[in-house]
Amino acid sequence: MFESNLNKEQPKIMHIDLNSAFATIEQQAHPSLRNKAIGITNRISPNCCIIAASYQAKSIGIKVGMGLNEAKKINPEFIILESDPAKYHYIYQQLVSIMKNYSPKIKMKSIDEGIIDFHNTTNLINQTILRKIGIEIKETIKQRLGATITVNIGIGSNQFLAKLAASLHKPDGMDIIDYHNLTNTYKNLKLTDLPGIAEHYQARLNAFGVYSPLEFLNTTADNLKRFVFHSNVGEDWYYRLRGYEIDNNLTKLGHVGRQWVLNKPTNDQSFLASSFQYLCQTTGKKLRYKNVDARGLLVWLRFTNGENWYLRKMYKTSFYSDHDIYQRAIYLLNQRPTNLNVQTMGITCYQLTKTARNQISLFDNINKNNWLTDAVDTINEQYGIFKIFTANSLNSTKLVKQKIPFGGTEYFNLLIESN
Amino acid sequence: MDPVIYINKIVDVVVVFNHKNNPNICMPIRIRYQNKNIDLIELGLRHPTRKGSRSIHIFDMSDGQNDYRLEFDSESLLWKLIAITNTNYYV
Repeated sequence: MFESNLNKEQPKIMHIDLNSAFATIEQQAHPSLRNKAIGITNRISPNCCIIAASYQAKSIGIKVGMGLNEAKKINPEFIILESDPAKYHYIYQQLVSIMKNYSPKIKMKSIDEGIIDFHNTTNLINQTILRKIGIEIKETIKQRLGATITVNIGIGSNQFLAKLAASLHKPDGMDIIDYHNLTNTYKNLKLTDLPGIAEHYQARLNAFGVYSPLEFLNTTADNLKRFVFHSNVGEDWYYRLRGYEIDNNLTKLGHVGRQWVLNKPTNDQSFLASSFQYLCQTTGKKLRYKNVDARGLLVWLRFTNGENWYLRKMYKTSFYSDHDIYQRAIYLLNQRPTNLNVQTMGITCYQLTKTARNQISLFDNINKNNWLTDAVDTINEQYGIFKIFTANSLNSTKLVKQKIPFGGTEYFNLLIESN
Repeated sequence: MDPVIYINKIVDVVVVFNHKNNPNICMPIRIRYQNKNIDLIELGLRHPTRKGSRSIHIFDMSDGQNDYRLEFDSESLLWKLIAITNTNYYV
């Protein structure tokens, strides 16, 4: 009954996903770690969180997000390593380079996964069966990066189906989902197996009597819009499930920020101010890297008792220098409840506009401040980021480490330079 | 016990350049460290990184027993042994 509504276009989207990326990269780099249960964390401590686990670790029940203590209980010989961003960046660059051989339209979804759009490619590529290209890509990755590094490849008529196909047979799998096998594929899956459906959306669907992907497919666009999602999101899901592309929207940079979980929660003003100054410097660096200025600033804290606090302010003039960000941020920070210990702190710049920093100000003190920022940036570009920084944040530069970002890869180059 | 022993010392290295052996075009095969020769048999991964404007190549190698991390500074042309990982620890 649904087949008339399915997208019958030939699948032209390929999703490539590095299997257990960080863990397999480390296993490739360290032959002694191959075929062992290993995990990666950002900072080794007894309670640290595993951000990637090898397939050997996953097979014995060690999951991403688990604490090291818990993993050691499952397997006392579980090996934990600290993340090495430069290594992952290299693999990321190689993956991008391989993908660009096939189409100019590629999009990296995160550090370890990306999409090749084969629409409007040359005839030579367009007329080749995508499964054959997939096998070729797998071989190239093994040759250029090493035999331990494997990828899952999914091919579909939209990004959603391509990602779903890439998740069907891990590791080192390759699947195609098109209108012929779409309903059969959905038959064997749970709702949470669909990319983008987690517990929250599952609960919404369950409340409407939808318990499987096939029932989800069977629900009308109107019902999904009016009764399940209460917005256009429902209609989007209707088309997404049928293989129509609706996830091609370009996202606009809305905010830039940084957060940090304190090793030892405290309410010590000088320590917090010092750490905050460092966060302001990294945020300023991101703003300048993106060539934007900000007008709004949000400072937020999470205390050890679980309470959250935030304060935001919009300014008449835009700002981008570390000094300007810190001056504004410390004014907001000083209005916090001082009797509580801070567990997590964060700063977000918003209301971003294209930078006007080339424009010379009428006021000399503003010019001097901006020129100082430019001079420090130039020196740091030459000798490494954070070779020069404010004396107040000296201790924080040792404590607050830049670590692997999840999701976007837009600051990856910046991250590599700062390590 | 931490299985990684940090060395961070400049060492003498014998390297083979073989353009046909892509991607392992440049492969260190022997290190001279503490008056001993260490023969490297496997290149795990080579990756470039930067220290300021200097380009550094990092080689993760193995001699079949231990793992070695070597750094090649493309400006000074010096090799540095960064760390040795005692892999018996992992057995």
